[in-house]
Amino acid sequence: MTPSCLPDIEQIKRKTAFSIALVGNPNVGKSTIFNCLSGLGVITANYPGTTVEVNIATTSWHGVEIALLDLPGIYALDSFSEDQQTARQVLLECPSDVVLIILDASNLPRNLYLLLQLREFELPILAALNLVDQAEEEGLTVDCERLSKLLGVPVIPTVACRGEGIEPLLKEAAAVAAGKWLPSALPLYSIGPIEQEIAALALIIEKNLKGNYFGLSSRALAHLILEKDGEFLALLNENEGGAEVLAGARLSWERISNFYGEDVETRISRERHGLAGSISSQVTSTRPKSRQPFKSLWRAATAPFSGTLILAALLAFIFIFLFYVGNFLSTILNHIWTTIFSPLITSAIYFYFKGSLAGATLKWGLDDGLMAAVTVGIPYVLTFYIVMGFLEDSGYLNALAFLTDQVLHKFGLHGGAAIPIMSSIGCNVPAIMGLSTLNTLREKVLASILVVLTPCGARTAVIMGSVGLLIGWRWALGIFFISAVLIVLSGLLFNRLIPGVSSGLVLEVFPLRLPTLKPMLAKTWFRFRDFILVALPIVLAGSLLLGFLYETGWIWKLTSPLAPVFEGWLGIPAVAGLTLIFALLRKELALQLLVTFAAARYGAGIHSLQDFMTSRQIFVYALVNTIYLPCLATLAVMAHVLGWKRALWISAFTLALALLTGTAANFLLQALGMR
Amino acid sequence: MPTEREEEYLETICKLQQLKETIGTTRLSEALKISPASVTEMVKKLGESGMVVRTENEGIGLTPQGNKKALNIIRKHRLCERFFTDVLKLPWDEVHEEACRFEHVLSDRVADALEAFLSHPETCPHGHPIPSKRGKTKKDDAVPLTSLHASQRGVVSRISEESHEFLGYLAALGLMPQVEVRVEQVAPFKGPLLVKIGGASYALGRDVAGKIFVRGVKG
Repeated sequence: MTPSCLPDIEQIKRKTAFSIALVGNPNVGKSTIFNCLSGLGVITANYPGTTVEVNIATTSWHGVEIALLDLPGIYALDSFSEDQQTARQVLLECPSDVVLIILDASNLPRNLYLLLQLREFELPILAALNLVDQAEEEGLTVDCERLSKLLGVPVIPTVACRGEGIEPLLKEAAAVAAGKWLPSALPLYSIGPIEQEIAALALIIEKNLKGNYFGLSSRALAHLILEKDGEFLALLNENEGGAEVLAGARLSWERISNFYGEDVETRISRERHGLAGSISSQVTSTRPKSRQPFKSLWRAATAPFSGTLILAALLAFIFIFLFYVGNFLSTILNHIWTTIFSPLITSAIYFYFKGSLAGATLKWGLDDGLMAAVTVGIPYVLTFYIVMGFLEDSGYLNALAFLTDQVLHKFGLHGGAAIPIMSSIGCNVPAIMGLSTLNTLREKVLASILVVLTPCGARTAVIMGSVGLLIGWRWALGIFFISAVLIVLSGLLFNRLIPGVSSGLVLEVFPLRLPTLKPMLAKTWFRFRDFILVALPIVLAGSLLLGFLYETGWIWKLTSPLAPVFEGWLGIPAVAGLTLIFALLRKELALQLLVTFAAARYGAGIHSLQDFMTSRQIFVYALVNTIYLPCLATLAVMAHVLGWKRALWISAFTLALALLTGTAANFLLQALGMR
Repeated sequence: MPTEREEEYLETICKLQQLKETIGTTRLSEALKISPASVTEMVKKLGESGMVVRTENEGIGLTPQGNKKALNIIRKHRLCERFFTDVLKLPWDEVHEEACRFEHVLSDRVADALEAFLSHPETCPHGHPIPSKRGKTKKDDAVPLTSLHASQRGVVSRISEESHEFLGYLAALGLMPQVEVRVEQVAPFKGPLLVKIGGASYALGRDVAGKIFVRGVKG
């Protein structure tokens, strides 16, 4: 067995002095610590066949280059979920010099479970005791020194969201990497027969087993085999000496289950929990609890009636916030662009290219294209990311999972799907990737359909920037309403069509909290930066291409075959239809190109759209853009999670649905006399 | 003498009753994976032979005679499972299917002999109690977690889930037999439960919570 590390990780490890892998339970502030350490230049790696991401970055500390690997949040190192498998794979196949485990000080027992498991793998552990401030608020104080002594690993207290404890953490990491804290093989389960069985099995392994098992010691191997670890049992069957070890393991299993009257895996889990609990109680002191500030808010947010009201109010708030703040920003930016930047760029282009084809094309890209990106991208997408960051960090999404569990059963799903579905109003891509937490393929397919029909931030930007800004908020709301109806109907329909039943919800829930500003803004900035880096080149290339096609007159030849569908069914100009096809690259590109086109013809910024299309046309345009086919990025991740065939089917379904709805809206509005 | 098919019905109704569920035709057809039409037919037939009663409010239920018959089948099923795992050393996640076939051909006499041979086991390999010869279940006060109210506590006695990985996942969260759990909140309209285990709270869907049995309910 030769370990196969991801090339990205391999490469970055070669360039740096030492590497740190970050592990921890979900929501302990692991990503905050990662962002704090890494700064800019994060790259993302995937294991083939999984959607679980490993974020990789480098940092420089007093002139020392350090590699950082951010592993998915996990509760245990087994192989139940993709998250667990990926974390385990990286730890075993790309051994890091330091395994930094982040512990939640306010929930030490459950967090120590993972640490004890890491110790069984005999990894070089460094622990960061995070959320110390929150624990204090709840009346808990943890004695770090004592904890460090009991565990045999260094423990550093941190408050990651304020950047406290980061410097000592790196200092200690360097010490661990230099080998100051040798991974100790202290027996953990000194009571009862488990320890004896581990020792006995380790002896058998030493005598018989050949081959390299990720460089694990025979004791660590004995531990894994005793626990009936699927991956390692399979390895035994392949390698020389495996049969002898397996025979020995069978005897050990039987002795333990006879002694305790329960199977060995459950017993070891229990011992680990017991040890975690006893260590935790030795180092934690409790003061009488201060109040729990948001308990009643949690109650309200999860009760059916008030919860639904809160959800509706929240969605209304997002809508109004986007409408007013987004429109306000868009108008200002539009004004600034048309009065300051546009004349500058136009005259610069004229100076160099005069009235040539190249000059005219460049004007499309650099003036109108950039203007469209600025007046659609920044005001709506950035504003949206801020709202989404607040929701995520406040813990409200958990309350949402609890509230919607029952309703989602009607769609063949459970509350666990609420988080990806809600986050899909930000962007469909991470939402689809988040579906890896669902258990069955059926659930993933059903949830994907709901996700791709949910208007994402980019589609919302198109709705707001066209219909909302130019026709009025009621019409914009109408598009969201139509989407909601289609989502419900499609969900019910496919739950009936696809055979099978749904599994259940098991989700850790934490108290609601007021998000800390700095990490929230940092997260927003990271997302927005990604958005700009990916979107801007596409917008530029798209508008240059469109400009070239227009200036040469080829655009009319291209659009004429599509004219019957766009002009006949949807009642929109064929050129507008063409921008809908461009929008496969990025959804907001549709409007940006359309505005570019209108501005190039009528020359009055975003409002020229009204000279080019009627209100009905703008409405149908935004409606179709909202429903049909998610962008190529969504299609790609969907194919990754569900396979190409299912992904293409779902896309074809949305395309048909969009054409149907668009045509219906066109004729209905015409009949009602809307221009 | 009931047929094999009839025995399956009695067994399933009995198990659903133990879960304190109201049993309608739909629920029964789901559990048996048989069409609702056939279920209606069979329930009628079982009613005529005095095994099953059907009432407006409580749905389908067993008569004392039907209950005895059902417990007898369950007893044979669970004894077979014990035999398969303990003596024949078959893996515990495979024995259920095998036992489903054996339970119908086992005579009472052989079942008694099997029980004596296994030295009177109390539970099947999955932790469910084995009814006695007279159809008495050894005092099992375990109730599904779903029957608890908010702020009630109990100790997990068994988890009727077959997937090995899922059991392992629950165990990593601390959800395993002999662990005390506290129900913090129960969502109305058959919504999920908020359950505290150790220092952490978990939202459990009603379907998952229904598989977790607790005893010694307090509070």
